[in-house]
Amino acid sequence: MHAALYISKTGLSAQDNRLTTISNNLANVATNGFKRDRVAFEDLLYQIQRQPGASSTQDTELPSGLQLGTGVRTVGTQKIFTQGALQTTTEALDVAINGRGFFEIQMPDGTSAYTRDGQFQLSADGELVTTLGLLLEPGINIPENASTVTIGTDGVITAVVSGTGTVNIGTLNLVDFINPSGLEALGGNLYAETISSGNPQQNTPGQNGMGTLVQGALENSNVDVVEELVDMITTQRAYEMNSRVISTADQMLQFITQNL
Amino acid sequence: MDKALYTGMSGAMRSMQAQAIHAHNLANATTTGFRADLAQAVAMQVSGDGLDTRVLTRAAGAGTDFSQGVLQETGNGLDLAIKGEGWIAVQAADGREAYTRAGNLEINPFGELLTGNGLPVLGNSGPVSLPPFEQMEIGLDGIISVQELGQGAEVMATLDRIKLVNPANADLEKGADGLFYRRDGLIEPAAAEVRVVTGYLEGSNVNIVDAMVEMISLTRNYEMNITLMQTLQENSEVSAQLLQVQ
Repeated sequence: MHAALYISKTGLSAQDNRLTTISNNLANVATNGFKRDRVAFEDLLYQIQRQPGASSTQDTELPSGLQLGTGVRTVGTQKIFTQGALQTTTEALDVAINGRGFFEIQMPDGTSAYTRDGQFQLSADGELVTTLGLLLEPGINIPENASTVTIGTDGVITAVVSGTGTVNIGTLNLVDFINPSGLEALGGNLYAETISSGNPQQNTPGQNGMGTLVQGALENSNVDVVEELVDMITTQRAYEMNSRVISTADQMLQFITQNL
Repeated sequence: MDKALYTGMSGAMRSMQAQAIHAHNLANATTTGFRADLAQAVAMQVSGDGLDTRVLTRAAGAGTDFSQGVLQETGNGLDLAIKGEGWIAVQAADGREAYTRAGNLEINPFGELLTGNGLPVLGNSGPVSLPPFEQMEIGLDGIISVQELGQGAEVMATLDRIKLVNPANADLEKGADGLFYRRDGLIEPAAAEVRVVTGYLEGSNVNIVDAMVEMISLTRNYEMNITLMQTLQENSEVSAQLLQVQ
């Protein structure tokens, strides 16, 4: 059959993947700590019909052979870990990371997950938990009779407890990865460590390249709406062109079957 | 029977192959750093008895379009695009030195600088390897400076330099993996004049209008060849009728 049919099919599925990624980015435009995805494409292997550089006579060689490409492939999606804008909420338990780093979260099965969404709340036991109710690692317990909770830029948490005065109740640590793009997105604003992300390195906020903590602020999604919309337009046009190639190839096949 | 049928067939075949090349270009209209393939036709004369009236055609690759793609702003520090001419040297899967224009780089857990499809980027001497760092910057000429973990911004150290080359286009050919290689298999020396910009990626250089127009013209060309074959078929039918015994 016509090779162009299958080549354009790869183009259509690649643009499909891209649109899926764009729509996921746009859907999460208001998600705290969300990092946008980007699709990477690469051209598929070439079928060499005539070898370039082969001799055409004893003294001359073919300047270029005939290499037919076979289309395009989605190599992967890459999370782009640029900083999202900080939004001030004045909520005492909202913490944003200004710079690199992740909060470590304890999953129900005992493993660790990582997040940049610092919208913390209190559990019935007075422990600091995420919106999903997952515990921070190491856990922070806020005394029952604490009035004001202050989180320093270096993660030190102090509370004013009636009767005792100001007490230090723990430290929020940050972890970082050499290749954050290699983290596996688990959904729920959480990421898991993978072989390609490297091991988590725990550090105090503000030291060894870690970001500082900002109390009373949240990190917005880093999705740039204008960029996504422009990408959506180019995706749509690329999709249309590839489907146009399919219909052209189809017309050619139709023409030959009807006329011969 | 008239052998012109084969001439028509070779024309139709050539249109389909050229169509495949354009389809491949259009499928890669959004691939970072992609270089479009060109298609051309070669006349193939069939010599034999009688007059030399039979000239068939065959598709031939005409190499690659080396024009520049449009730079797209991404804001990502690990994205780099080459301004003007030049290539980024990478190590292909078989260990050979290959060249690419796709500058969407990544860092793996061992600190190696890789391209988007996982090939090591070459530096002054072999693949680039980085220590754990707080901040990394790539300069205009590919110089990588790193602020190592736990050190201040005043100890920004120059580590390595991404190997940028600028061979003549005529010396390059596209390999089966889509990367470019030197035709003679030699290693191109690094070129100091190549400039890169970070935070940008180079788009595909496929001229979509050109490719679409070319597709339309190829379709019509194909239809003409088929019509020719149809006419020849009618001719042979009529001559068969002539010889029929009434």
